[in-house]
Amino acid sequence: MIADYVRISFNSIRHRKLRSWLTIIGIIIGIGSIIALISLSQGLQNSIEAQFASFGPDRIIISAKNFQGPGSVFAGITEKDVETTKRIGILRSVSPALARQAQFEYKDKIVFSLLFSIPAAEYIESFADFSPKLEAGRHIREGDKYVVVIGYSVANDMFDKEIRINNRITINGKKFVVVGIQKESGNRDEDNQIATTLEAAREILNEPEDVDMIIARAKSGQDIESVADKIEKALKRSRDDENFQVITPKEIAAQINQVLGVMQAVLVGIAAISLLVGGIGIMNSMYTSVLERTKDIGIMKSIGARNSDILWLFLLEAGMVGFVGGFFGLLLGIGISFGVGEIASQAGIPLLIKPNVYLILFGLFFAIVVGIISGVLPAFQAAKLKPVDALRYE
Amino acid sequence: MNKIIELKDVWKIYKIDSFEFAALRGINLDIVKGEFIAIMGSSGSGKSTLLNSVGALDVPSKGRIILDGHDIALLPESDLAQIRGQRIGFIFQAFNLVPSLSAIENVMLPMTFQGILRKERIQRAEKLLDAVGLKEKLYSKPNTLSGGQRQRVAIARSLSNNPEVILADEPTGNLDSKTGGDILNLLINLQKTENKTLIIVTHDEKIAKRADRIAVLSDGQVVKIIKNKK
Repeated sequence: MIADYVRISFNSIRHRKLRSWLTIIGIIIGIGSIIALISLSQGLQNSIEAQFASFGPDRIIISAKNFQGPGSVFAGITEKDVETTKRIGILRSVSPALARQAQFEYKDKIVFSLLFSIPAAEYIESFADFSPKLEAGRHIREGDKYVVVIGYSVANDMFDKEIRINNRITINGKKFVVVGIQKESGNRDEDNQIATTLEAAREILNEPEDVDMIIARAKSGQDIESVADKIEKALKRSRDDENFQVITPKEIAAQINQVLGVMQAVLVGIAAISLLVGGIGIMNSMYTSVLERTKDIGIMKSIGARNSDILWLFLLEAGMVGFVGGFFGLLLGIGISFGVGEIASQAGIPLLIKPNVYLILFGLFFAIVVGIISGVLPAFQAAKLKPVDALRYE
Repeated sequence: MNKIIELKDVWKIYKIDSFEFAALRGINLDIVKGEFIAIMGSSGSGKSTLLNSVGALDVPSKGRIILDGHDIALLPESDLAQIRGQRIGFIFQAFNLVPSLSAIENVMLPMTFQGILRKERIQRAEKLLDAVGLKEKLYSKPNTLSGGQRQRVAIARSLSNNPEVILADEPTGNLDSKTGGDILNLLINLQKTENKTLIIVTHDEKIAKRADRIAVLSDGQVVKIIKNKK
């Protein structure tokens, strides 16, 4: 029975090809933009989360307050704070890190970039597993001094000539051997990074005391927030000030998710407006359809159609318009998100676009519901027409 | 005599603002099963209103319409729909086919509303279209058919649920005289062979003369009943 009604409604949609397609296009745009906006902002969230996953969930970063990332101007953390943190005694590792602008030279080309450093003996434990994997060579290890591990772009793009393992680059006038080259990560900061030993960095940067950040790792099974709390208390006591911050991955993720949440809400709001317009489009089209087919309704009633039959036929029609619009809208939305994702990652902003089954089902369901809701009023109007009046309509 | 339809003091009053207009004014008419009756009258005499009331398309303001012993005058819409679907076949001057459906789908439509299985519907629709001479046009859309062909589809459709009564409102009015003659022959043939009750509204004397009886309407009243000699 329902199959017959679907067939009849489908025929009617086909019969009014142009108008049906115009309505469907309204829904396609509405659903397409919702899907695209949601999956793009989800892609952004995914890639940020992926970066945090590589950062390591057990890591705690201690830095000066208002520390804006490597290279920014700040002061305040010293080796003394490293000692204080180590003395708490509950951490798996505590490593000081120094990150400063330096002058790099390779085959007569000079570049200024950021030099990151960490004690040679602690490189693998504290740093290696949250930087990109190696493409060639090895990590920095105990006993190393004038060696560097470089990012993918440093090896391939930064200088005129490509850098290979065992090539030498000059940093602030001192020669360093390249022992490791990292794989491309897609993240600009990582791909442009040059890492060396803290021992060598202190020497060439003439920086005997300062620390830019302390990278601490909690032991497995420890509650990271309470560990961070203890570090904060210990530092507050020993420093007698509050010019430092202890950051856990969870806090950062929470902050970013909050921002993303607001952004997502705004984007979905915009998309919802376009869907509303699409819905009004369906309603308008259904009303015209009812008017146009007043006579058909009369005919159907004269040959035995009940009010409920007419109601069903029109609701199915609206639902099908919604479904078709939703289906193509999904394709459009997914296409747009992959397209924008591709462009964004070429521009250096990685977006991890993953088609989300729930989002797809939601989009389709939503389109059908919008179709049906928009069709309800016109369908009721059609159903309650008196057969003799409907037949007289020209 | 086996009465299939009885109209007892049927009134239809239209109210337009405060103005009342009586299209039917106390119609009394008995129709016998298997009979062919023509309803004549000038335009505005109420013949179409009468046909619509008999066909349960419209509800009379007053009076009783008894179909097979049941008063259908004041039934709710859902019951009227059932009567229209099962007991009555309608044929219109303007054919009134659903333009988006093919000939066979149009014939199948009344059966769809009665919940008849698709296989059976197709079989029956094919048989009916074959009987009206449209075997070759099963899948043609109405706009590709001639007027005569459309009316044949409409006749096949009116028969699809095998109703007792066929109501035709100026069935040849939009057709040339030859085609109109063919359509009329087809209807009369059906009435005879299948023992259907045929009620035709017309102002064509030639059609009326072939009926068993002619009811003449004027100003919403039956003013004369003429029995044709066969």
